[in-house]
Amino acid sequence: MTINVLICDDSSFARKQMARAIPSGWDVEVHFACDGVEGVEAISKGLGEVVFLDLTMPNLDGYGVLETIRQRDLPAMVIVVSGDIQPDAQERVRKLGAMAFIKKPIDADKARQVLVEYGIMTEA
Amino acid sequence: MSAAHEILNEDQRDCYQELTNVAMGQAADRLARLLDAYVVLPIPRVNIIECSDLHMAIQDAETDSAVSAVCQGFIGSGIAGEALLLFNDTSFADLAKLMSYTGPLTRQAELELLMDVSSILIGACTHGIGEQLEIHFTQGHPVVLGQHCKVDDILKSGNQQWQRTLAIEIHYTIEHVNIECDLLLLFTEDSVARLNQKIDFLLD
Amino acid sequence: MSETHIEIGDIHWLMDILQNIDVGLVVLDREYNIHVWNGFMESHSAISPQKAKGQNLFKLFEEIPEAWFRQKSEPVFQLKTRTFTIWEQRPYLFRFKNSRPITGRTALMFQNTSIIPLESLDRQVNHICVIIYDVTDIAVSRADVKNANKTLTDIQSKDPLTGLWNRAGWEPQLVQQFNECQAAGNECSLVTFDLDNFRTYNGHYGHQQGDQVLSNIGKLLEKAVGLRLSARLGGEVFGLLLPGQNGEQAKAMAEKLRRAVLLLNSGNADDNIPKITASFGVASLAKDTHSAHEWLQCADKALYHAKESGRNQTTLYQHRPN
Repeated sequence: MTINVLICDDSSFARKQMARAIPSGWDVEVHFACDGVEGVEAISKGLGEVVFLDLTMPNLDGYGVLETIRQRDLPAMVIVVSGDIQPDAQERVRKLGAMAFIKKPIDADKARQVLVEYGIMTEA
Repeated sequence: MSAAHEILNEDQRDCYQELTNVAMGQAADRLARLLDAYVVLPIPRVNIIECSDLHMAIQDAETDSAVSAVCQGFIGSGIAGEALLLFNDTSFADLAKLMSYTGPLTRQAELELLMDVSSILIGACTHGIGEQLEIHFTQGHPVVLGQHCKVDDILKSGNQQWQRTLAIEIHYTIEHVNIECDLLLLFTEDSVARLNQKIDFLLD
Repeated sequence: MSETHIEIGDIHWLMDILQNIDVGLVVLDREYNIHVWNGFMESHSAISPQKAKGQNLFKLFEEIPEAWFRQKSEPVFQLKTRTFTIWEQRPYLFRFKNSRPITGRTALMFQNTSIIPLESLDRQVNHICVIIYDVTDIAVSRADVKNANKTLTDIQSKDPLTGLWNRAGWEPQLVQQFNECQAAGNECSLVTFDLDNFRTYNGHYGHQQGDQVLSNIGKLLEKAVGLRLSARLGGEVFGLLLPGQNGEQAKAMAEKLRRAVLLLNSGNADDNIPKITASFGVASLAKDTHSAHEWLQCADKALYHAKESGRNQTTLYQHRPN
């Protein structure tokens, strides 16, 4: 079954990088959001079963998105992909319900590792 | 003379922002560990600035607020520039507390604190950007541009042998305390072409 | 990182370079014991590498504050960042003599240092390298520039004969007093005075004697209110600021000075030559004085009145009552 993957990041460059890092052969449909507001909208439409979420975004940042997902009990497995890697950030993000945290810059190996580790994707 | 937007298109600007995002995240991580505090990360501003408009590179700068400033040059792979750290003078008291510095806050002491913070922020940012672009930067020694000076004075000093610079501005603040500083990464005009080459390669 | 093709011959050269390079190279381990000590360090410390190796840095060099250096270096070990010390924050790390002991202008060497991480094969940082640069010339030049600038500023704003401010240098003081006292509602008065018969005096006794009189007046003012508040505004015109004094008090001070100027004449025997006296104008700061310039104008008007009324007297400016 095709999984809906949402890439939520305000940088088009980062979105491209993330898209390139998604393992080939994984049955997904990739959607994009430019900030937290668009991201929440997409998730509530079911387009973000797996979400790759940036933290620093305008309008609504990554923390805001996580809070909204929790409040509204939206169906989303969130993997935070961020340049903000300080200990507190990783802590806060986990408390808000994120499943995993990947440091930027992301590459295909890192992405695959996390997806397999959390059972989102099985090793082909 | 080509207009600024001709030198930097939106994709390139976006790329610089993202590169900086990652680098400053690394720098913030180091600073956060040193101070055991949470560093608030802004969205970096990327612009081509004219020499005469250098003060505009700093967002919300009250040009007569007092700052102390350090700068450090860097060079590698045909790309050269300077990192400028402008530290708001009112921040020293809280910084001293976070660094567990108990002595009197003399100019000497402030200089020590300034040096420690700038080592981390400038070092990590330059290194972070270099790493992503696969450039090894050699850093010059830090130089004190001024203590308790006005922002305007700091930015006006210097020979201004150049006309335009690629300026990346990161405004760091620390949660719950009164600490704020501006990190300005300034690349020489002839570095920009080389940088854009590297960026374009990543954008493909 | 580029691949380096090293042969035995190359290693010899590298060692030669490390030994002879004109910066200090010190490699320390986790306990801050010395592992590498190059020629620069040997020459300046008179401690051979054989003696230095294995020694603890702080035991060997007591001038290096252990706590401070450890605090600087720990991030290098742990976070693999490099750090720096500059002469502005600490003149030196190692207390070495100036490398130009005869012509050098300072006794000790000023130093910048870099502290860099050295990764072992297991990618851990178990050693750091301290690189020491002799920046004495830079430090001395910087001090020279600072002094030169101070001298230039003094030349531009001070009167060389009396040591008082000249008009240009005094104006900021005037403006500052004006702003501060108006803002705080404090009293302040301004006195200007002009010497009477000075040209005749000069003509008769000569300029040298005339200069002596001016110089003595400078000393009078220095004693009365201090250099910071006094000025020689023109050839024979002087000004002084009296913070905290109202018009009457300032007038009393002016009178004191007027009598002191008279005394400067003793010793000049020739009765045909008119004595040097001074006419004084005094103006207190009123609430409706709008600028420092206006305030000065009040004092000048009073001075003019003193001159017109026969000289050798003091006039106090009468502000119009509100």
